[in-house]
Amino acid sequence: MSEQLSYDDVVKNLDDLPSLPAVVMELLNSVDQEEIDIAVLAKKVSHDQALTAKTLRLANSSLFGLQVKVTTIQQAITFLGFQSTRNLITAAAVTGCFADKLCPGFDHGQFWRHSIATAACAKVLARHVRFNQDYAFTAGLLHDIGRLVLVSTFPELYAEVIAYQKENDCYTLEAERAVLGIDHVEAGLALAEHWNFSDTMRLAIAGHHEPGTPGAGFLAAIVHVADAVVHALDLVQKPDDLVPSVSPIAWKALNLGEDTFLHLFRETELQYEEIAMVLMA
Amino acid sequence: MTGTYRHLPLAKVEPGMVLSDELLDKHGQVLLPAGAQLTERMLERLHDHGIESLAVVDDTPPDPAQTAAEREAHLARIGVLFRRHDPANGEDSAANTLRKLVTEFRVGKEAA
Repeated sequence: MSEQLSYDDVVKNLDDLPSLPAVVMELLNSVDQEEIDIAVLAKKVSHDQALTAKTLRLANSSLFGLQVKVTTIQQAITFLGFQSTRNLITAAAVTGCFADKLCPGFDHGQFWRHSIATAACAKVLARHVRFNQDYAFTAGLLHDIGRLVLVSTFPELYAEVIAYQKENDCYTLEAERAVLGIDHVEAGLALAEHWNFSDTMRLAIAGHHEPGTPGAGFLAAIVHVADAVVHALDLVQKPDDLVPSVSPIAWKALNLGEDTFLHLFRETELQYEEIAMVLMA
Repeated sequence: MTGTYRHLPLAKVEPGMVLSDELLDKHGQVLLPAGAQLTERMLERLHDHGIESLAVVDDTPPDPAQTAAEREAHLARIGVLFRRHDPANGEDSAANTLRKLVTEFRVGKEAA
């Protein structure tokens, strides 16, 4: 067995991670500022053509049901609002940010498909419980981002995690703790700190496996249930996938009826396919 | 909620078939609404619009043997996904409710 890692080992290596486009960092850092100059922002994003194209395709997907097709970032902000557009830009940027690193057994496509499915499901869930849908979407997309941190910074060690998980048929979380001594939740928090995520987002990443902990917040419960639903619906079709433990506290907190869940399953499947086509292209 | 449409190349579509989804051209304009019954004349014009394939309502009765096999496959897969959860464990109520709902979603209520 290899030596165990500490939180500091992860933090030390964060600077070697690929950085997000400058404009996206700016968006993340200004999350609490309402008065950001939209014209300046739209112009900055427009300089990145790939990012703009991806963002606009997301904005025009049925996720938002817009009656008009938006063709510029400025227009997207007009029709969807600043918050939604900001989240779309982040989603488009983050999914392209971590390149395939040499970690045998780690499937980047599979990772993002799961994250996108969780984002779609969390957004639908949020609508049903009248929570901010943009927060839910972004938190769903980023909930497991710590795994990418671990894979990118310690590819060889993470290959051992994957081997351990296969051998013991256990949860990734258990394999990470056994092999590395640190898990993707902690690594995700380190990155959230490093990238200046908002407190809401940090809490959701921290609490998505333990949403019953006092102070975990409602968003953690939404992401937790969305994660479980996505595994149960087998959207990623990973042969040895496992439905994680589902917190009865989080389940009860959402307080949704059976019919609502059946609708939610259908809606999640449809939206997942559409968003995956845009983000994975 | 199960697949009740078939995607067919235009050459295989016959007059009398029913369109299952709105048919759009490459500019996003609606050519025909969902539920339209296709005529020979329509099919010729679709060809002129550059349509190569379309989705029609599948009204062939499902093969019972195949349906049963699909059902078994769904149930088996759900069993695999939930292998870490014990249906008899009362503490694991949320996971078991989720399992019941997904089963209902995949194979219908009676099996749940």
